Amino acid sequence: MMAGGNAAGADGNPGQPAAEPVGRAPAVRPFLVTAGRVAGTSTGVPLPVETQVVSTTAGLAALDRLSFEHRDIVAACRRPQSVAEIAARLRLHLNVVRVLAEDLQAGGHLSVYVPSAGTARDVSVLRRVIDGLRTIPDSRGALRDSD
Amino acid sequence: MTATEGARGRAPAAGRGAPPLPVKMVVAGGFGVGKTTAVGAISEIRPLTTEAAITEVAAGVDDLSHTPGKTTTTVAMDFGCITIDPSLKLYLFGTPGQERFGFMWDDLVQGALGGLVIVDTRRLDDCYAAVDYFEHRQIPFAVAVNAFDGRVEHELDDVRWALDVAEHVPVITFDARERGSVRDALLVVLELALARAEN
Ligand SMILES: Nc1nc2c(ncn2[C@@H]2O[C@H](COP(=O)(O)OP(=O)(O)OP(=O)(O)O)[C@@H](O)[C@H]2O)c(=O)[nH]1
Ligand SMILES: [Mg+2]
Repeated sequence: MMAGGNAAGADGNPGQPAAEPVGRAPAVRPFLVTAGRVAGTSTGVPLPVETQVVSTTAGLAALDRLSFEHRDIVAACRRPQSVAEIAARLRLHLNVVRVLAEDLQAGGHLSVYVPSAGTARDVSVLRRVIDGLRTIPDSRGALRDSD
Repeated sequence: MTATEGARGRAPAAGRGAPPLPVKMVVAGGFGVGKTTAVGAISEIRPLTTEAAITEVAAGVDDLSHTPGKTTTTVAMDFGCITIDPSLKLYLFGTPGQERFGFMWDDLVQGALGGLVIVDTRRLDDCYAAVDYFEHRQIPFAVAVNAFDGRVEHELDDVRWALDVAEHVPVITFDARERGSVRDALLVVLELALARAEN
């Protein structure tokens, strides 16, 4: 496990604070945030990227007591979000979000809805997606920045 | 769609009301073929970018202490979505098409309804890896030739021949900038997926 003081040296800049590149997730930080764990070690399978995550009432009530990334995630999930979406919005690595989401679920701060494995071959789901897509017009209105 | 968005906007916070069932499709292809453009053309949110990988060797390794010499690769992955209805949401993931990203595809493609491999006919070999991948995993997919400036340099039959894709794999042209064109390309893939699921 890496101590906080070693972090700066990990990117080859001993003694220098690691610069966080603008616009992309920093490479070293994930290991600190998740205390060196990898996604999926608890269950063996990483959460699918489309897994839906929603804050619980308890999680929102505890916001002030949560630290950093935990708080950001709970705050970002007032409405359901996918794991990938959270990673993109908070500029965290996907695997970091996976680990933290499992932590927060264990603590009762988040509900995590893992999609069932057979969905891709579910005829009724496929029909609904097809019918839904067909209603999309050729041209579009303005894009939203979020849901 | 506006009605749906409005209803969702008033949805109660804090976990009440189940989230939609998420389904996903993968948009793959070489550099600069129009993946981000295609996702953005049909997504209802501005496409987001996620950094998808930590290190190439670290996948599945417990000790992630940053040993010197380990290559850290971050791969940008596009991300968009389409609300089908309040209980069903389609996610689109745009992913680079190089062989060495295969480790990431396993993760991404798991459970996907299907894939669209975008091809620029000026650089056909850029898409071999993605085509191979979908073929081997038996994921329904189509090859979509992006008609840059409305032109396709090769006939579709030539593309099919050059890529050596199986007969059941649709090879189509589309325009990554046109919403309706991206929609129709995705529908081609979904019809394949449906036909397979019905068997
Ligand atoms: N003329 C024309 N330009 C296009 C079309 N599709 C994409 N482009 C342009 O081609 C460039 C690359 O498109 P992107 O959508 O960024 O391609 P990409 O596959 O996401 O590229 P990378 O993420 O860099 O691998 C952009 O400048 C687009 O505006 C098209 O159909 N016609
Ligand atoms: Mg792109």
